[in-house]
Amino acid sequence: MLEQLLIFTRGGLILWELGNALKGSPIDALIRSCLLEERSADAAFHYDAPAGCAAYTLKWAFDNDLGLVFVAVYQRILHLLYVDDLLAAARREFSRVYEPKRTSYDDFDETFRQLQKEAEARAEEMRRFKQAGRAPAAPGKKQVPGAASRGSGKQRSSGGGGSGKDESDGYPGKGRRSENGSSNGHENEIKPNSRAQNVVVHGKENGAPRVDAFDVSKLQKLRSKGAKKTDTGGGGCKAAKAEPKKIAKKNRVWDDSPSESRLDFTDPVADRGEGPEVVVADQGESMMDKEEIVSSDSEGEEDEEVGNEKPGTKKKGWFSSMLQSISGNAVLEKSDLRPALKALKDRLMTKNVAEEIAEKLCESVATSLEGKKLGSFTRVSSTVQTAMEEALLRILTPKRSIDILRDVHAAKEQGRPYVVVFVGVNGVGKSTNLAKVAYWLLQHKINVMLAACDTFRSGAVEQLRTHARRLQIPIFEKGYEKDPAIVANEAIQEAKRNNSDVVLVDTAGRMQDNEPLMRALSKLINLNNPDLVLFVGEALVGNDAVDQLTKFNQKLADLSMVPNARLIDGILLTKFDTIDDKVGAALSMVYVSGAPVMFVGCGQSYTDLKKLNIKSIVKTLLK
Amino acid sequence: MEKWIHQIEEWIHQQPIEQLYVAFAVLVFTFVFFGLFRILRRSKSNTIVLVGLSGSGKTVLFYQLRDGSPHLGTVTSMEPNDGTFVLHSELEKKGKLNPVHLIDVPGHSRLRPKLDEFLPHAAGVIFVVDSLDFLPNCRAAAEYLYDVLTKAIIVKRRIPILILCNKADKVTAHSKEFIRKQLEKEIDKLRTSRSAISTADITSDYTLGVPGEAFSFSHCQNKVTVADASGLTGEISQVEQFIRELVRP
Repeated sequence: MLEQLLIFTRGGLILWELGNALKGSPIDALIRSCLLEERSADAAFHYDAPAGCAAYTLKWAFDNDLGLVFVAVYQRILHLLYVDDLLAAARREFSRVYEPKRTSYDDFDETFRQLQKEAEARAEEMRRFKQAGRAPAAPGKKQVPGAASRGSGKQRSSGGGGSGKDESDGYPGKGRRSENGSSNGHENEIKPNSRAQNVVVHGKENGAPRVDAFDVSKLQKLRSKGAKKTDTGGGGCKAAKAEPKKIAKKNRVWDDSPSESRLDFTDPVADRGEGPEVVVADQGESMMDKEEIVSSDSEGEEDEEVGNEKPGTKKKGWFSSMLQSISGNAVLEKSDLRPALKALKDRLMTKNVAEEIAEKLCESVATSLEGKKLGSFTRVSSTVQTAMEEALLRILTPKRSIDILRDVHAAKEQGRPYVVVFVGVNGVGKSTNLAKVAYWLLQHKINVMLAACDTFRSGAVEQLRTHARRLQIPIFEKGYEKDPAIVANEAIQEAKRNNSDVVLVDTAGRMQDNEPLMRALSKLINLNNPDLVLFVGEALVGNDAVDQLTKFNQKLADLSMVPNARLIDGILLTKFDTIDDKVGAALSMVYVSGAPVMFVGCGQSYTDLKKLNIKSIVKTLLK
Repeated sequence: MEKWIHQIEEWIHQQPIEQLYVAFAVLVFTFVFFGLFRILRRSKSNTIVLVGLSGSGKTVLFYQLRDGSPHLGTVTSMEPNDGTFVLHSELEKKGKLNPVHLIDVPGHSRLRPKLDEFLPHAAGVIFVVDSLDFLPNCRAAAEYLYDVLTKAIIVKRRIPILILCNKADKVTAHSKEFIRKQLEKEIDKLRTSRSAISTADITSDYTLGVPGEAFSFSHCQNKVTVADASGLTGEISQVEQFIRELVRP
């Protein structure tokens, strides 16, 4: 049964509600982490009340014309088929009753109960019909992941994308569309018998590394793992986390060559006293501090768009659509939006935005525009363009303050050093950008210390040592073949002793699929609890950015022993000068992780570090 | 093109001179009239903007001012609430009442840029602070307040700001004096950290207060006052007073 159904305006006022009080604040969580994050095209949203007292699933529908949102909340263990149906029906009925200034709609109670009964009846019929049709194929569907909670009975293109990924996970790779109905039918059948089974199915769903990566709800769920881990996450296909015994770290051998006995080629004290390196006195202001001159070229409407739109809308006739755009009475339908959205999506993809992200964004914009009345003298394409621009601005605007200097001061007051850990895959520029950040901090009179926790790559410690010498800052190193987590721990203690304000920790690059390395990283982060976990990603990466960030976040959450795992707090975008206007990687990364871009590396010298200029990125993306 | 100009000139020369004078005078008078009208109207803007962090109670306050009750409750706003109305408590008064244009801007950080659209027309700003849950959000609130106080429009036009400590009906709510002191301390720290950075980081255009002295709201050029209220129970008399001072000079 539905726990609650709410109708509220986009401005925040609740117009009508029916149901019991909810634990926690699921609606606020829905708005903050889903609707405002441009994930409104998702099928459903899962919410765990704090202290684990309740788990809800939320579904929603928009009425974009009147600016209303309809949200249905029910317990996660139930699989109610009729919710989407009910939401659509409620939307129809309510839009008839709605008046702008009216704030109480008690008479809607009756209408709603009626609708609910009808919807339930329809769902019952459908279920019986499907059961009869698919009974022979029923057994063997138990292994299907709990698709029910994700869009029961809905045919969505995102479902198709997800099923592709499921195939790679080794599940019976059937098209999701046909599965939905049957799996629901089946699960409803087994519902009275075994609730536990449903829970296990959910466990599988939670455990399977979901790479349709927009489940920010899952991200938050990962944050508040706690008790959930034991019942739902436990029975998953996660690899055994606990190693039975601690094996000493062995050299990584890539092929069958005999392993080297000694890998540490650093000469001991001998080359410490050398001084041919030029001490970097002052290379000038870091670009972080320079005002970026944004050329304000005109943002005129491109008329090529009209060309794009014409072939798609031929069926409506040019004259009538022109008339409608002038009179402004056209109600936007999905079919109208599709050509404009497709053009926008292609444009985004040529700008190197990951394909899935562009798809999700376009769907989210479509959901927010459907049913809206066109203003007069506006074309469909310009409305879509404005909506997409707003959406992009919203995504790229940071959720929290990115004022690092303020955080450093706050940590200084508390008497502890501010620890930043740089993580990322191989070769993205962690060490180089670490030096740039150190340079910038030095320019603001902050004491920096470097910690060389990349104990794997040859020359990594020397590299940092050179940087430290040029910048004249202390460096904490323990050579190679040591456990990075312990090195970092000792570095932080050393920093406390010599009054350094910031500790910059360099780690080895690692691929997101490499389980033991990710475990080591997770151990480093959880042992030392840094203030900022900075993911370093290069702007040249394409669709892989999505995969990298999701897997990093996931592994960080899964492999941590504490309930509130630390996830990626910020992004450092590197090699920005090598892309001219293909700036889409920034958007992909921010969308997937929800973390803001704190720095942008745009060159290979110390001063090439700047802030992300959101307006210029949005302009470039939509040019 | 030139033929037309020639023809027009001939036609003008043909008209009797008085008509030309009258036409010219009418034109000049219209322009002067519109100019005066716009200048006069600008100084009488009646827009009040409600800003504050997400969850501080702006939407509740909006509906309390408009209808006298927050109805069934509110959720996080995704869009601004905009309304021009006579304050609910003044409906009983007789005589011509000036409607107030009230805008409630969402507090969610992703929607911050919307504030810049509404500030140019503001006659006053009400900065709503959650006095119940104040300490965990103190830094964020201070940063937002700092941003508002250093916006060019606020400084140039000396727009008065009312810092409203909302949810004052709860037992554990902090007093407005405490909140004022905390905000002043935080803004003082922000001042030093923000002014240590050069131009690019200062998204605001002005620095606050007197350098060398601890910051206090009396250093601001525009009038900053502190008051408390409770949106849910309806004790919003100080808010209404602030609004009345601004809208009906």
